[in-house]
Amino acid sequence: MFVSDEDLMMKCRKGDTGAFELLVRRHQNPLINYIHRFINDYHRAEDLSQETFLRVFKSAGRYKPTASFKSWLYTIATNLCRNEVRNRSRRNTCFFEDLVEEGEDVYHTEIMRDTRYLPDVLLEKKEQRQMIRKALAQLPENQRVALTLVTYQDLRYEEVAEILGCSVGAVKALIHRARQKMKKLLIKAGIGVEKIDE
Amino acid sequence: MNRQNEFPNVHNSECETYLANPDVLSAYIDKELPTWKRHLIGWHLKRCGTCAHHLQRLQHTDNFLRGAGDVEVSDGFLDGVMARVSEAAQHQRQQGSFGSRIHGLIKVSIGWMPSLTTLAGKLRYNIRTRSPVYISILTFAVFTMVGVTLYQPSGDKFGAELRELDNEKLISFEVIQHEPPKRLLTTYLQGK
Ligand SMILES: [Zn+2]
Repeated sequence: MFVSDEDLMMKCRKGDTGAFELLVRRHQNPLINYIHRFINDYHRAEDLSQETFLRVFKSAGRYKPTASFKSWLYTIATNLCRNEVRNRSRRNTCFFEDLVEEGEDVYHTEIMRDTRYLPDVLLEKKEQRQMIRKALAQLPENQRVALTLVTYQDLRYEEVAEILGCSVGAVKALIHRARQKMKKLLIKAGIGVEKIDE
Repeated sequence: MNRQNEFPNVHNSECETYLANPDVLSAYIDKELPTWKRHLIGWHLKRCGTCAHHLQRLQHTDNFLRGAGDVEVSDGFLDGVMARVSEAAQHQRQQGSFGSRIHGLIKVSIGWMPSLTTLAGKLRYNIRTRSPVYISILTFAVFTMVGVTLYQPSGDKFGAELRELDNEKLISFEVIQHEPPKRLLTTYLQGK
């Protein structure tokens, strides 16, 4: 029988760690990918994902079933990511955008595998991923967050609006602008109109 | 290749009617439009090459983005989270027992509240029913205080003596009497 995230969260409120483990299992992969896309550092992404889950558990008492669990989870994660990016820029260490401009490989922190024996398809996938990340990194923060949440986290505009603290109309505009910009950036990166149109 | 040629191009005022805001197409891709609007736009897209082409490019961008692979969570991740969660749960339980003790204390203190309210109520009742008695006692007290404050004992005589003293020296000396042995203290006033 499928138990919804919201029901599991209500069980967590009563201190049921088993229910919470099920929530972590369900959301760990999408969450770590979201944070990774945001801060571009795999190890920090794992730390922040752990911190996100811990905060969700600690604040379970304040969770109301009227809000979707995903909005709750990604609100906490987004706030943590924003702080991380802000702290990095304050410390002046490897800021996200700088890395992209310098043309460095921003995925150096990812778990690297020996690519020599990888089939071409996988290599292409890896290149595609790198290209997308670099393009995403060039979007303004709110556009990047909105587009990532809709494209990869499958969140509704309403949930994104809740996370960003803006109207649904504003989210609609953010998504469209982000997609338009991504389209241009990808064409500029060599994935021309023809390739996109294939 | 111009994709627009594949569509019957009727780009006209309809585009402005249905696609006044270009973000409508993104919302169309994300299925974020009400059904009636979705149908209207779908109908327009069948007839308008320009809009259909625009939509197709957005759709391809979206597909391309979705095609990017994900990173994998490391093996120890779940255990790491659950270890920290168990620790937090234990801490919360401990805090809970401390909290319940505080709660008990608050409950006891709140337990006094009804008796305090009763006392206040009784006092209010007393004041209301016995007000003439209280008023007369209060009036008497006020009059006594005013009387005491206004009554000053006449200090004229005393003052005169003090003023005289100002012009004289008060001299005291001891006289030792030998037979029978006695110590006498003599004080007199000497004019300046
Ligand atoms: Zn049109």
